[in-house]
Amino acid sequence: MNSLEEILSWCEKTAFDLEFTHAKQWKSKDEKRVIVGYLPIYVPREIIHAANGIAVGIMGTGDRKQIIKGDAYYQSYICHLPRGIIEMALDNNLNGFDGFLFPAICDCVRNLSGMFKLSKKGKFQRYFDYAQNFDPFIGGTFYKHEMEKVIDDIYNVNGVKASVDGLNKAIKLYNINRRLIEEIYDIRQKYPWRLSAVETYHILRAGICITVEEHNEMLQKILNVIRNERGEAMDNIRVVVSGSFCEQPPVGLIKSIEMAGCYIVDDDFMLGSRWIQGDIEEDTNDPLEAITKAYLNQSTFASCYYDVGNPKGKRLVELVKRREADGVIFSAASFCDPALLDRPEMQKECDAAGVPHINFQYHENTGQFKVIKEQAGTFSDSIKLWA
Amino acid sequence: MENFYTMGIDVGSNFIKLVLVDYSDNPKLIDKHTEKIRKRDPSQVAEEMTQKMLSKHNLKYEDIAYFASTGEGDLVKRKRGHFYGMTTHAKGAHFLYPNAITVVDMGALYVRAIKISEDARVYDYKMTGQCASGSGQFVENISRYLGLSIEEVGDVSMQSQNPEISSGICAVLAETDVINMVSRGISTPDIIKGIHISIANRILKLLSSLKAESPIVVTGGMALNKGMIQALEEQLEEMGKSYQIHSHPDAIYAGAIGAALWGGFRHIKLKEKQAVVA
Repeated sequence: MNSLEEILSWCEKTAFDLEFTHAKQWKSKDEKRVIVGYLPIYVPREIIHAANGIAVGIMGTGDRKQIIKGDAYYQSYICHLPRGIIEMALDNNLNGFDGFLFPAICDCVRNLSGMFKLSKKGKFQRYFDYAQNFDPFIGGTFYKHEMEKVIDDIYNVNGVKASVDGLNKAIKLYNINRRLIEEIYDIRQKYPWRLSAVETYHILRAGICITVEEHNEMLQKILNVIRNERGEAMDNIRVVVSGSFCEQPPVGLIKSIEMAGCYIVDDDFMLGSRWIQGDIEEDTNDPLEAITKAYLNQSTFASCYYDVGNPKGKRLVELVKRREADGVIFSAASFCDPALLDRPEMQKECDAAGVPHINFQYHENTGQFKVIKEQAGTFSDSIKLWA
Repeated sequence: MENFYTMGIDVGSNFIKLVLVDYSDNPKLIDKHTEKIRKRDPSQVAEEMTQKMLSKHNLKYEDIAYFASTGEGDLVKRKRGHFYGMTTHAKGAHFLYPNAITVVDMGALYVRAIKISEDARVYDYKMTGQCASGSGQFVENISRYLGLSIEEVGDVSMQSQNPEISSGICAVLAETDVINMVSRGISTPDIIKGIHISIANRILKLLSSLKAESPIVVTGGMALNKGMIQALEEQLEEMGKSYQIHSHPDAIYAGAIGAALWGGFRHIKLKEKQAVVA
């Protein structure tokens, strides 16, 4: 697999493989290997890697699965993501996973962790709480304890304890991973036609289903191609898409935004892979402390993260400026309370900064994009012609 | 202001429309061409049409300052930019009738009523919903069932003496209505006219919810259907509305013309922007 076309086609297939075949094959080669599934948005994958595990992102079913049983678990006013994931679990798609982490996104995901526990899916099921207090002695200590609990969980499954060396090695690998992803985003900021937003999405989504070593190798190959000219530049506007950090938008939606004349120069799809901004300190005597510090000081922003001292609206406007974007598309999953409750504040900041914006909602299995295309198309025209 | 060429291509569901414009303060439509897609690959049809028009005028793709698409523009491989259909129809209608205040874009899949400003900005719009019974495609289907070509439909409709109105809510119901009419021996002109009236009634609802103002310019493929325009005028009169309705022989090109014109506008804007940066 060397050409960009081959890589992209493999990524598309792997990203939406609901059986997670690649990760299961990786595990089958060594009986001490474990698969730990995690839900959006972020978990420190370094600790799983250091314990001879692979962290596999479970981002939902998209439009690849009909939800029947899942609807019996959740009320009609709950988003689509947890229904799809419980459906996957009940359909045995997640068999072979040793444990599951449910990051503190919202109550629906908290409830899902309970459902997994009651259904005895995996050998451990842990609600992974994010520290919301950014004092290193309070939030930092709490976060470190959360990570230690996961390390113990994995140790109880495979008897491998994450060592200092193992953690430092994992930190290095994930630092490389984030740097390579960031370079892709930087190239796309200047030359968005070289790699479409959909292609980028497939690459990142495949990356959470394979080992970090494999992903790094793949990213390097992709970068070797897109550092040079590819594709043809179009007179499109540049937008930042915000609000899709948890339930992922259908690929058709991303495509529709691009087809309507908008280059997506930054987004919060697959945010976990880009959660820590910059490198985590390498080769320390206390790598858990290094990961904690990075979480407290280098986290990006999302609606599940309550950093009152560093408001999300202001950070969004900074991102728009840094990416030289023309506007923001607020695109949130229907019934996603965190995203929808944050939206007015973020819109207010955009208005104050003179950043134009539009908004819409989706389900991960939305199949009709006519209205979205219409909105994005008129948004693009209004900026191109009248801004 | 220097003159330069722009091209606009409007990829619809049935037809592709292409225009070449000499852009200046007073833009001129140099050439136009329309082609039915039939069962061909629209990207290929678009490419062939473009090549043909360029060679006809001894031009190369590079001689076109801005090649803009509209409609299903993602099917056009070589282009500089894309504009949304509503924006281009507004501009195209304004070019054909500079006094236009309301535009009714009657395409193959829907009808859209658009309120525009003096400089062709879109102020507001209303469009038909998902149902196909208010669309050109529906008229084409019915005419085919009745053994008429789409070019004949307008004249046949104008021969009607006693029109039979079909369902204006659902294409499936309307088609059932037509089958019943045929079995009841209703004449073809009366059936066709009835369909036109039913579509006209839907358009009237759009115009009234938009609080449309006169003059109204009809664009899109259906604008060339004389029977449809007549039905619209009659229905307006019946309801006591004094709208002036205008159609134009180039109405089918309104989207493509709008794309070419906005392309020229955008080309100048980008040049000015570059000059500021430099």
